[in-house]
Amino acid sequence: MNELTFGEARHLTVRTGLGAEWGSIKKLEGLPRERAIEYILNPAPSNTRPVPYLTPWNKLEPMRDAGAKTRADAWVMAQKEGQRLQGWWIEQLFRTNTPLVERMTLFWHNYFTSSIQKTLQPSLLHQQNLMLRKHALGNFRNLLRAVARDPAMLVYLDGYKNVKAEPNENFARELLELFTLGHGNYTQNDVEAAAKAFTGWGVHPRSGKFHISGEHHDGSRKLFLRRAGNFTGDDIIEILLQNPRTAERVTEKFWKAFISDINPPRQTVVQWANHFRNSNYDIKTLMRVMLNSDEFWSERFRGTLVKSPVDLLIGTIRTIPYPRENTTKMVNLCRLLGQKLFDPPNVKGWEGGDHWISTQTLLVRASYLAKISRGNLNIRVKTGPHIRAKNNEEMLEWLLAVPPLNKLPETPGKRRLAHALLKDPAFQVT
Amino acid sequence: MDRRDFLKLAGAASAAGLAPDVLWAAGQQQSNGQRPRQRKLVLVRLKGGNDGLNTLIPHFDYEKYKSLRPNISMPHHKKKIDQRVLGDSGMSMNPYMDKLRPWWKANDMAWIQGVGYPRPILSHFESGDVWDMATRSGQSNKGWLAHILPSYQKNLHGIVLGDELGPMAGKDCYAIAMKSPEVFVSQAELFEGAQVHKKVNNPALAHLTRIQSQVMGASDEMIAKMTNPRQVGQGFANSKLGRQLESVAKMIINGVSAPVYMVELDGFDTHANQVNLQNHNLSYLADALDSFATAMKRHGHWDDVLVMTYSEFGRRVAENRGGGTDHGAASVQLVMGGKVNGGVYGSKPDLHRLDEQGNLRMTTDFRKVYSTITQRWLRQRNPWAQYGTLPFV
Repeated sequence: MNELTFGEARHLTVRTGLGAEWGSIKKLEGLPRERAIEYILNPAPSNTRPVPYLTPWNKLEPMRDAGAKTRADAWVMAQKEGQRLQGWWIEQLFRTNTPLVERMTLFWHNYFTSSIQKTLQPSLLHQQNLMLRKHALGNFRNLLRAVARDPAMLVYLDGYKNVKAEPNENFARELLELFTLGHGNYTQNDVEAAAKAFTGWGVHPRSGKFHISGEHHDGSRKLFLRRAGNFTGDDIIEILLQNPRTAERVTEKFWKAFISDINPPRQTVVQWANHFRNSNYDIKTLMRVMLNSDEFWSERFRGTLVKSPVDLLIGTIRTIPYPRENTTKMVNLCRLLGQKLFDPPNVKGWEGGDHWISTQTLLVRASYLAKISRGNLNIRVKTGPHIRAKNNEEMLEWLLAVPPLNKLPETPGKRRLAHALLKDPAFQVT
Repeated sequence: MDRRDFLKLAGAASAAGLAPDVLWAAGQQQSNGQRPRQRKLVLVRLKGGNDGLNTLIPHFDYEKYKSLRPNISMPHHKKKIDQRVLGDSGMSMNPYMDKLRPWWKANDMAWIQGVGYPRPILSHFESGDVWDMATRSGQSNKGWLAHILPSYQKNLHGIVLGDELGPMAGKDCYAIAMKSPEVFVSQAELFEGAQVHKKVNNPALAHLTRIQSQVMGASDEMIAKMTNPRQVGQGFANSKLGRQLESVAKMIINGVSAPVYMVELDGFDTHANQVNLQNHNLSYLADALDSFATAMKRHGHWDDVLVMTYSEFGRRVAENRGGGTDHGAASVQLVMGGKVNGGVYGSKPDLHRLDEQGNLRMTTDFRKVYSTITQRWLRQRNPWAQYGTLPFV
């Protein structure tokens, strides 16, 4: 029988969700593995929170052409609203009933990056977030086509400047390098051909919606990856989807996000990528293959992923209901820990893994965990968080992916033990 | 007995046995005096984009300057500008920086003008990244000093009094960002009771424990050197920057091993009411640098330090309607130190040939300044050799 133990139910919950949520673990414990995985993969639909007011594109954009003072105002508005938007997602992450959807949306945000800083259009970033959310566990082809049409992306990678008379290669290059094939699998000529195929794809100046301008589209014959034709942007995407590297690249990113920071065996990547491609790029299929794999459950990869700032800040509160910081403070903590939502450091996104941890971020992480879990450990208070684990062994198994490195406190008490475990380096990994 | 008690009783050298990183630092401390003195770099970040033209005023082209900035030019009257021309440079130092005039006269201070980079970016964040990483924004997460410091010394590379590692960001650099040494030591107590993890196979945990022991090592060093420290023994400029530089002075005097220190002065984003804001800020800067230089000199460290200011960009040449200036491009940098060759380096600003956005054109690539520091000051392999060096040090 392969019914999930408490520890396995925890592993599945933590790697696919946000925090070691007791309720989820208990629901999965005892279920056959395949059923538990299907339960995770098919969550009941849940709503996203209403978004705060964000100035629409067609109001904000003209302000930038209207003199220095108005331009400065537009900048200030974009900054303020950008913070509001960050707060919106943080609250969504805190309260969601479908943590897998949030996690996948964050995954795609890091895969198809765009930033409120370069675009200075928070409302477009919000729309992009809804788009990523919609396709989060859907079909990668549809997702890629939607990304190529996404206004925030068109601004972020200068697609809207890509016109027949003056092609801009930025989007085309990243499409090949980061979104599909990866470096070394194409030439500069391919980048130029792809850029041409996408000419005329832009943002309508008034509506702020995706818009193809026939006048600016270069309909000429292109030679792309040794094929010739009067390719459009969608043709380019199709050709890229026929190349096995595309599925492999997504698979590699899945591995780094859900399994381990240790590099995957080549064979595994090829095998999973094949399943993915054969399913016509069904993202849920790739997820299912991964969650059912030996690698996912292998002890070897437990605790080899450093928790992302979101996982640490929000996941901890979703694990134990400690009093939490307010939205503004959470936005600031994300910044200090190097994960500004809607504002990744560059087009490659957050490097993650070891890169989350520096002397500076480790101190901030430790201070945060110490602060939320401190309380007065010597007084029995009714208001302290209710800790569900029944004994020390269960506490360890619940809160840590790997055994603690520090000595456990000698004085008994669940809250004291939780405090000590949160301070342990082992709490930083998952 | 906990780690700190042990440390207090046994002293730094035996405590070093607990955290291997500290042993090296302690060894270096003991042999101090025999080996060449460690050269230090003190960075002062002027946050917001400092206006170069009102810092070093183009006296040689005053009429043009005045015509572009009718309301915010530094006034000519009372001969203020005339009296402050620096040598034969044709440039006048802002009168609110008079505290630094003795250092200029002593040849311990230099300006580099026209510093910037090609195709300037006018966003604070992105341009700040360009300066920190010495690449176009987004191309690297590794600070420029992270390319140099790992070979400069093995132990602690730098201390930032602030919350971002900036030019010392990156996996290879062992730098600590702190509010102050005191706050840092109390924060590092969070790791108190942490075991010394000899061998961890899990690479993620190994990285975590390595960084944790770096924090603890730095904290041990702070405790060892900054408990009952030698005092600076003089008054210090009373401003946030002054207190930060006093902290840096104290660390240097007491033999903290980091070769790089970084402090920050915010408030240079002068879109409105620039004259007051910038003059005040420049006077904070000058007063604090004067105190710092005096302290270094008094304790015999002036020849070991090089102070350098930098800012993400300069400002638009023409004033705006709010009595301020918008984000611009090329600006000026100040360097000070006992080994500095005084003077004004780089070409004079050309107010007649601005770029399309009305900004000063860059005449000295900022990487030439980094190249100079790397090669002529820290004497390291120079990744920016192609940009050449300047003889300011």
